[in-house]
Amino acid sequence: MILEIQGLTCGYGKLPVLRDVSLSIGAESVALIGPNGAGKTTLINAVTGLVKPWGGSIRFDGRDVTGHATHEIARAGIALVPQERELFPGMTVADNLALGAAYIPRAQGREERLLEQCLRLFPILKERFRQIVGTMSGGQQRMVAIARALMANPKLLILDEPSLGLQPSIVSEVFDRLSELKKDVAILVTEQNVKESLRSVDRGYVLENGAVVLEGAASDLAKDPHVEASYLGL
Amino acid sequence: MANKRNRTAGLVLAAAVLGILVWRPTVLIYGLQAAGLYASIAIPMGLILGIVHIVNLAHGEFMMAASYLTYTICRASGMDPYLALLPVAAVTAAFGFLVYRLTIRRALKAPELNQLILTFGLAILLTQAANLLFTSQTRKLSFEYVSASVDIGDLSFGVYNFVFVAIAVAMVVGLRLFLTRTKAGKAALAVGQNPRGAAIVGIDVDRAYALTFALASAMVGLMGAVFITRSSIFPAVGSPFTMKSFCLIAMAGIGNIPGILASSVLLGVSENFLKAFRGTREWADIVFFVLIISVILGRSIRGKKA
Ligand SMILES: Nc1ncnc2c1ncn2[C@@H]1O[C@H](COP(=O)(O)OP(=O)(O)OP(=O)(O)O)[C@@H](O)[C@H]1O
Ligand SMILES: [Mg+2]
Repeated sequence: MILEIQGLTCGYGKLPVLRDVSLSIGAESVALIGPNGAGKTTLINAVTGLVKPWGGSIRFDGRDVTGHATHEIARAGIALVPQERELFPGMTVADNLALGAAYIPRAQGREERLLEQCLRLFPILKERFRQIVGTMSGGQQRMVAIARALMANPKLLILDEPSLGLQPSIVSEVFDRLSELKKDVAILVTEQNVKESLRSVDRGYVLENGAVVLEGAASDLAKDPHVEASYLGL
Repeated sequence: MANKRNRTAGLVLAAAVLGILVWRPTVLIYGLQAAGLYASIAIPMGLILGIVHIVNLAHGEFMMAASYLTYTICRASGMDPYLALLPVAAVTAAFGFLVYRLTIRRALKAPELNQLILTFGLAILLTQAANLLFTSQTRKLSFEYVSASVDIGDLSFGVYNFVFVAIAVAMVVGLRLFLTRTKAGKAALAVGQNPRGAAIVGIDVDRAYALTFALASAMVGLMGAVFITRSSIFPAVGSPFTMKSFCLIAMAGIGNIPGILASSVLLGVSENFLKAFRGTREWADIVFFVLIISVILGRSIRGKKA
């Protein structure tokens, strides 16, 4: 297992959000689906050290990383595309991408190859290479955020709503590229676009009200009556 | 955007400077010297504000403490302040690091008012500590080189204070190299723009803050050592510099370090311009408030239009 979460509880202040969540990811891609406010982002924040878990354990690549600092987790090999993108708005695309690799041991010495891969994935970034990121459109910034995460040459790539603000044709392209990537990188992705995401991942978890209510192969989940009714709008 | 602003400010300055140069050269000379002093004290504060996003109201007091340290060392050993400069900077760097670790770090997520109260408290602490240790009596070290002067035709002026101009320029150039060329500097720059984003790409944000604080403290410590070569010191000597530094940074715009040079020149030259006339001499201290108010007013009007 690349990532193994057991009995995770966590929240903000006194407000509990996640209740006893267990989830694991091997060499595969996994979708995390659930309604707004279910706790998907909170789960991701706990994994990446952005919020401190209250209880339970998180193991990454055989090491206990529960409660570790975000930069340590990043250096260990988890790259995150946050829902809010969290780019460096005053810097160019080039600088943002370079920073994606600069502090990650796994990316050292491979920057050129990684950059080439990112620019192949998002050709528009090649045209906009010297543009200040803060002046780009939301969708373009989303691409920069995905590319920046890929620059870290991660073992596990976490994408929080990657298609938010992207036009549909790019969304399916992103998912196609993600399914290519998953040969080398384990992927955890949350999506509003449940149909698209279940088409391209191996397994899925359904999170509701801070607890996992369903899990299984993506193809099974797509046929599940509860998922169909709540997320596929059938 | 900052670049464009710097360029217009530069052009206006250049025109004004030419006019004054012809008409009354000493206004320009002393104005530039004052600007060097203002800028080299404000730049480290601007660094902290730009990266850690903390207004260090104890900034001038850090310099005051460094001046007293230099005074003590030089008094005891007969050493020149320029020799004491590096050890003093090392001590203030360590001091800044400790202050960050023990206090600032705990207030990073606190409301801004709490942060201001914290650094204001540090300022009072340092001033009172100086009062206890050195009393409120002024202290001075005298050096001959300070009175060096140059005669050109019938014009005669002191040149020593140009050392501040050199320091200010060296600080701007040095910081630029540090922030764009070194790994730690690039990390600090990224942290200044988005700490959360920086942590996500593997940057140790806490370390970057501590480093920035230590570096800025070293710079202001160095200034403290140079400051005492030409000025008498007393426990409250630093506080007007805290005020002026903050206003110069606000004029330049947060994160715009070269802009601090421009706003310092504007302040220094205008002050000396008023000092050149008997009738307006007393008004020199007001320039500062007029400038800061007009700049901020101008910016908010422009901001509303945009
Ligand atoms: N910083 C915060 N402080 C306090 N409460 C928060 C914070 N962030 C999220 N919450 C709360 O935690 C709960 C889960 O939020 P979370 O962002 O994890 O949901 P989500 O599943 O990612 O939703 P969405 O699909 O809208 O992104 C919500 O009730 C939210 O109000
Ligand atoms: Mg979310």
